[in-house]
Amino acid sequence: MRPTQVYGHSNVLDAARERIAFVFDQFEDIHVSISGGKDSTVLAHLALMEAQRRGRRISIFFLDEEVVYQETINMVEYIMEQLAPDNVIPLWLQMEFNLTNATSLTETQFVPWEPGKHTVWLRPKKSYSIKFPMWDRATQIVADKNKGFGFYDVFVNFERCYHNTAFLVGLRGTESPNRWRTVSRHPATIGGQPVYWATPKADNFSLYPLYDWNFHDIWKYIAENGLRYHRIYDYQFKKGYPLQEMRVSSLIHEKSFKALVDLPEFEPATYNKLLKRAKGIALAQETGKKAKLFKAQRLPKNFTSWRAYRDFLIATHPDQAKCAIMAQRFARHLDNEYVARQQCRQLILNDYENNLPVDNQPDPRDNWIAYYREVL
Amino acid sequence: MIYLGYSTAEKQQIVADYCAVHAIKQTVVIAPDRFPLSVAGADQVRYADVIMYVTFYRLLQAIERDTLIVLHECLRTQNRYDLAYNCIRNYLNRTAHCLVFQTLPQIDERDDFMVLFDWVTQSRWKREHFSADLIRAEARVHVREWPLALTRLDVPTSDATRLKYDAERARLFDGLGAKDPHTLPRNLYLLGGRDKAAYIAARKPAGGQLALFAAAPPARYVARNQRLNLDCVTTYDDVEPGGAPYTAIELPHRFIDWCDFVSYTGQAATEVLVADLKADQWYFERAVKWQERIHETYTSLRP
Repeated sequence: MRPTQVYGHSNVLDAARERIAFVFDQFEDIHVSISGGKDSTVLAHLALMEAQRRGRRISIFFLDEEVVYQETINMVEYIMEQLAPDNVIPLWLQMEFNLTNATSLTETQFVPWEPGKHTVWLRPKKSYSIKFPMWDRATQIVADKNKGFGFYDVFVNFERCYHNTAFLVGLRGTESPNRWRTVSRHPATIGGQPVYWATPKADNFSLYPLYDWNFHDIWKYIAENGLRYHRIYDYQFKKGYPLQEMRVSSLIHEKSFKALVDLPEFEPATYNKLLKRAKGIALAQETGKKAKLFKAQRLPKNFTSWRAYRDFLIATHPDQAKCAIMAQRFARHLDNEYVARQQCRQLILNDYENNLPVDNQPDPRDNWIAYYREVL
Repeated sequence: MIYLGYSTAEKQQIVADYCAVHAIKQTVVIAPDRFPLSVAGADQVRYADVIMYVTFYRLLQAIERDTLIVLHECLRTQNRYDLAYNCIRNYLNRTAHCLVFQTLPQIDERDDFMVLFDWVTQSRWKREHFSADLIRAEARVHVREWPLALTRLDVPTSDATRLKYDAERARLFDGLGAKDPHTLPRNLYLLGGRDKAAYIAARKPAGGQLALFAAAPPARYVARNQRLNLDCVTTYDDVEPGGAPYTAIELPHRFIDWCDFVSYTGQAATEVLVADLKADQWYFERAVKWQERIHETYTSLRP
């Protein structure tokens, strides 16, 4: 059997504790980013236990996208208010920014905590949350002018407010090659020693103490320490979700809108509020996993090819400005059915940012067709 | 423990012995509709129902440490992340007592066997591919090898059929569009049907011979559907065990349908009508290779 990892003398838990102790030795300011998911819960617990041991306070940072499970909010409250309240500086950001809404072609950008819509917000703002940007709006960084001030811009500008600060993130390398690359691409030097589980970020550092943990290590830690965890995982497990799909995040962006399909079953009250809050929710709930619409796996019957369907979508797209960005990108792609199907998916999800990149390859069906031409 | 190729009576005896030795208080039998296994006092659960909430939560509560779960012919998926697979896995997490009965070790590839292996090892090796060493080290597998055999009966086709085949082939390739390319062999395979029907009619014993062979059961044929309209032909869904062996007019496209046919009828050796059309040749050769893969798996599993 081929080993997938090389095992050392220490276990991942002891190693993570040593890493966190190292961070406490090296940094005065420590921030732990949390999402309410299992990984960040474990990371926050490990960091807070170390803070408690040393009698120090650390910041727990949560960027509230509004359109999240109620259970996510319960988890954030649990981490900020119950795990080790005396050692926590809560940094709960509830401010407006642009979030991709993959469920609607007429409301392509969702603005969490949008002023004037407070009557339909999913819930009131938290009393101790940060409600306004901590930085100068006039000089803030905006990566994509088409999108405007977006999700990742909040992080970038937030981190610019700090110097020589450690940002701990619960990223695990085994989740995907992309995540592994994020952890290992630019090793940092901290206190004169190379740290391969950290990356420098301007004046600060991002550190990934759980980078070598596996899925089962996380659950073992949660069980052994009696930690509370996101209940949605239980529901997903019982419904037979594959491990890689058992995740909790925002409910409407292009990588997570499928969560809407089971939302009425998992959290009916959240679904009910979301119907009033954002456009396209009911359609995505009904068709989020259907082959003919959002997944773009089966061609609608009035089209004979994906290329024809793509051209139709481009011609009738309600947001022609965003559509032009995509059409320009498609012009550089191969012209075959395999690529055209993925282009249709981008158009349906309005993924002008290219977050679900097109695999620009020759059509794999071609091999089968060539094979059948030969043998039949 | 995994038992491959055992008879119904043997399976029932194995279950009874296991219950006696391990002081089992409750038995749950999970089986598809077509493959029931009668066990006295057992809770019978349809395979199709294992994913239903009404079954899922009831079983999670009912299964205790002294419950035996019998999985009978439950290899219905090649996907180790399938919903039914996951639900069964959850039931098995509640007890260490599990017996798996299956006729053939795989649907198509030998990795399929790892679904059965996962069930008896509580999925500790879920990410591993088929490995005889791993299986031997971690599970007890009892193998009764089925002597699978396919014999071809060549059926000559008429010029008209061959012309029709060429025309249909050209039409299907030209009009494929966005359709699944696997529809090509499926459709072309049906074209030899008329010639096969003529072959069957010619094969019937003449009137004078009937009396001589009165004791022999009439020949039976199996096809994908009833389009030939012959009394002696039945579909794969309607086959019955016992009686004369079936001769296959066409092989099913999905191997799981062929596994079901073999398991349900108990017919390991089958004659197959093979027309002199390329689609027929392709299907037959594919089935022979499948048979060879099964033999390789048997060889690997032998102690």
